[in-house]
This record gives sequence, C-alpha cells and structure tokens, in this order.
Amino acid sequence: MYKIRIHGRGGQGAKKAAKMIGLAAFKMGKQVQDFALYGAERRGAPVMSFVRINDDPILERGYVDDPDVVIVLDRTLPDLVNVAEGLSENGVLLVNSEHKPDIDTPAEVKNVDATSIALDTIGKPIFNTTMLGALAKFTHIISIDALNWAIEEELSNYPEEMIEANKTAVRKCYEVAK
Amino acid sequence: MKQTLVTGNEAAAWGARLVRAKYIPNFPITPQTECIETLARWSADGELPGTYFDRMESEHSVMSAAVGAAAVGTRVFTATSSQGLLLMHEVLYIAAGMRLPIVMANISRGLSAPVTLWSDHNDFLDQRDSGWLMFHAENNQEVLDMVLQAYRITEDPRVLLPAMVNMDGYVLSFTDEPINIPSPGQVEEFLPGYDPAHTIAHGRPITVGPPVLDEYSIFKAQNHVASRNALAVIEEVQDDFERIFGRRYHLVDGFMLEDAELVLVTQGSMSTTAKAAILEMRDEGIKVGLLRLRVIRPWPNEAVAGALKDAKAIAVIDRNVAPGKGGIMFPEIIETLYNLDRRPLVSGFVVGLGGKPQTESKVKEITHKLMDDLAAGRPRMEWNDLEET
Repeated sequence: MYKIRIHGRGGQGAKKAAKMIGLAAFKMGKQVQDFALYGAERRGAPVMSFVRINDDPILERGYVDDPDVVIVLDRTLPDLVNVAEGLSENGVLLVNSEHKPDIDTPAEVKNVDATSIALDTIGKPIFNTTMLGALAKFTHIISIDALNWAIEEELSNYPEEMIEANKTAVRKCYEVAK
Repeated sequence: MKQTLVTGNEAAAWGARLVRAKYIPNFPITPQTECIETLARWSADGELPGTYFDRMESEHSVMSAAVGAAAVGTRVFTATSSQGLLLMHEVLYIAAGMRLPIVMANISRGLSAPVTLWSDHNDFLDQRDSGWLMFHAENNQEVLDMVLQAYRITEDPRVLLPAMVNMDGYVLSFTDEPINIPSPGQVEEFLPGYDPAHTIAHGRPITVGPPVLDEYSIFKAQNHVASRNALAVIEEVQDDFERIFGRRYHLVDGFMLEDAELVLVTQGSMSTTAKAAILEMRDEGIKVGLLRLRVIRPWPNEAVAGALKDAKAIAVIDRNVAPGKGGIMFPEIIETLYNLDRRPLVSGFVVGLGGKPQTESKVKEITHKLMDDLAAGRPRMEWNDLEET
C-alpha cells in the first residue's frame, strides 16, 4: 500500500489535491481512499489530507501516520507542524518552496517552487494542483496522463482555460522538479 | 457495473436520488453538510425532477415536515448529524408512532459538551428506543445499498416504520472510496414508486396520531411487532437485491467466525480496521473472528446468538458510552447470550469516542486483553480510550 499525507493551510486546496491524486490513481485501476481531516477549520489554519493507494481493497482507515510521501503546500508549516512525522529513510518529503527547507527527517527532502510556476502559468497561486507534477516526477505512483484526466474531472465546472492552465502548470512542475 | 469515486455523504445523496425521493426537507450540520450540498446542487441543476428540496430553519422543523409529507404519502429523505439528530428527538417518536416510512441518513458525530466534530455512535444510539429501524454501514457502498434497501423495508405493509441509516462522520462521510452506483432502471426495478395504502390525503382520509385512552398500549405493541416483522423483510429483500445489483447482506456480518474461539463485536467503519488486524492475528495462529452489528433495531437476537454461541470469549467494542453504565451494546450482547446452555465470557471495551482513531494495534491489544480475561476466567469492562491521555 502506498500512503500520502498532505499538509496545507485552510484554503490552499489540500483536500482537492488529495481528491485529484485519488482520482488519478483510480483512473490507473488502483483501489484508493482519500480524505481530509479537519475540525473547526478556517482559512489559514493548518489542515491535513490523506491518500491511500493499493492493488487490493484497502482495509486501513483514518489518519496516515506512516506515509511514503508527505507533500507540504506551505513552506511556513514545518515551523508549526511536525510534517515529517512517520517518514522513513525510504520516504519523500516534498515542499513547495524556492529553497531547500531544513527539516530533521531520515526521508529525502525535495523542494519545488510551485507557487511561482502557478503564477506564471495559471496567473493565480493555485499550487495544490501544480505540486502534483512534482509528485508524479518523484514517485511514479501516478502518471501525468492520469493527472490530466483527474483535473478535467475535478474541475469540470470551471472554464476550459482554467482546466488547460492547471494541466500546463502540472506539466511545467513535472519538468522543472529535480 | 461502473465504479465511481464518492464520499459517504455523496453515497447517501445518490441513494436519495435513485429512490426518487419526492421531498427532501433539510438543515445543514457538520459532517452531514456535503450530503445536503450534493442534493442542493442536483436540485438546482434539474437532476431531481419533481422533488421539492426544502431548506428549513431547524432539524425539529425538518423532521416535523418529513412527518407531514410522509403522512400524505410522499417518499421522503433527509439527513442529519449529532446535535441535529438530538433536536429531532421528540419528532422521531411521532414518525415511528404514526408508522411513516421516512428514511434518514445520520452521519454520526459525538455529542456536546465539549464540542467535537468527529465521530462516535452516541448520537445514533440515543435514538435506539424511538421505534425507528436502525442500520449501520461499514463503508460507502453499504451506505448507498442501505438507503436503497431501507425504502423497500420501511414501505413494506408489514413494517411501515421509519429507518435511520448510520455512517461514521469523517471516516466515511468525507472519504472517497470507489463504489458501484446502479442505474436508475435497476433501482426502479428493485423499488417501484411509493403507493401507500393509507394516507391522510384525498380519497379516503384517515386520522393518524390522535389522543387515545386505553388503546395506547395496543399502538405501542403494534410498533414493536412491526419492528420485529422487519427482521424477515430484511432477509427477504436480499434475493431481489442480489439478482439486480449482485450484492447480498445479512442481518449480521460475520468475518472468520467458523473456528473462532475469540470474537470481536463491532459496529461501523472500525470493523474494516478490525478485519485487517484479524487477518494478521490469524497468521500468528490466534483463532479470532469478528461479528459486525449492522442491524441494531430490530435486534437480530437469533442471528447474533447463532454467530456467537460457539465462541469461548467475546470482546464487545463500543464506540459510545452510557455514563454510569458503560458501553451501550455490551449489555445487549450479554442479554442475548444469557439463556444459552453454555455462555461465553464477555468483556466490554469503550473506544474511539470523539473520533479517536481505532488502529490495528488497538484491536490487537484488545484481543490480547480478551485472551488474558479468558485465561483468568474474569471479564472486564474497560475504558480503553484513556490509556494515552
């Protein structure tokens, strides 16, 4: 089973990002489970979402405390939240930041400036979808094709330009992430 | 059948849509909100033709309006949670007493004070004696299937009682899972339009719910008999359900019970995690199985006793508490087993209040405590939640 935890702030789209990863993996024929955990949350408060991906039916539920990948949407969150909790040396910690953050973890730490990519391509700081390009690059758990399908599915109520811009942002992020 | 990724809230909304509920009075409350939002969107988009989506000012009004609409012969759906369900409480008895086949999803959430938004089963079990049929789903597929089945069961002339379909807040309500959503034609075949024999509408008007004197006890007895009748009806509908949808459910859900010496009794979504733990413990040679309670009212005593009678020891895992007593289902299980020739040892564990996660390691810990109890010949009643706090 492959497990992903996403840390963001209320309004940054952590829930939507989990849904899109779930949809993409579902499209690839996997069993999936995605959900967001929140209490009396409001914009700006730290929030979390989760995805489980498996070949067989998923018998785990709830909070993911042993993730394979952690995605951090906001570079100020590691100061407030133990984003690396449960990551092993095989894990990946992926942070939306122009600089490599200093986080104490056995996992491999990667950063990508998804905010700038989003501003360049979408014209708005919509970095939750953008970051998924980096996830595809570093983990291969989801493909860019499946992500494109997930974006079309999840943003089907939005104008065509917005859907295309999100797809471009994901591809750009995939290309520049290293 | 095509699979779709939906949350538990959306699964319940799909149920309401597919049964063609004609009246949906509603009031939003976390974690039910998304169910009502989904129905609101469909209503605004014209996806619910002929359905009146009625926004109201409180849950008390919602259930009162549901009673009125059902009394004139309308198929009604609504959904609520927690404090909202408690605000409906007095009207729930009226819906049952007037024998109205309303179906309501409850997305369970712990009760205030203090405030929690996360799930336990006290809101749902607080309605245990209201006369409603009470069902509890394990996953999102079962949520949808239970809503479809609930209408067939409640509208049966031998039953005519309202039904509550419970799902755990967050763990199901906000979690996407792949489920099969049947076609409208399939559901129409399983559940034709609602054509009640008795209504207060035009034609042959009747009186329902008037003041009575000596007859009060007769009405209550009829309510009880109707609820007991539902046991057979629940089993009867499975043949049609399996033929049309390819899935079948039983009064209780047994898992690895055949040779089980130890049995865990659970409800709702924690059963999934418990099953995973049982598979691992089986690999270690521990003969443990699980009985999931999915029909709480009417109480399926024969099915429960039949499933548990050969066990040596049973752990009743209650995600609820009756303060001053203990877990609510713990004494119900003991009562069900009391008159057997050989009674298993029964321990009770209160767990997971206010959404506290029920992990595989917790389930294993409880199983090992049950083994200790069996060895010592002494059952326990334990508040398992408190160890880490």
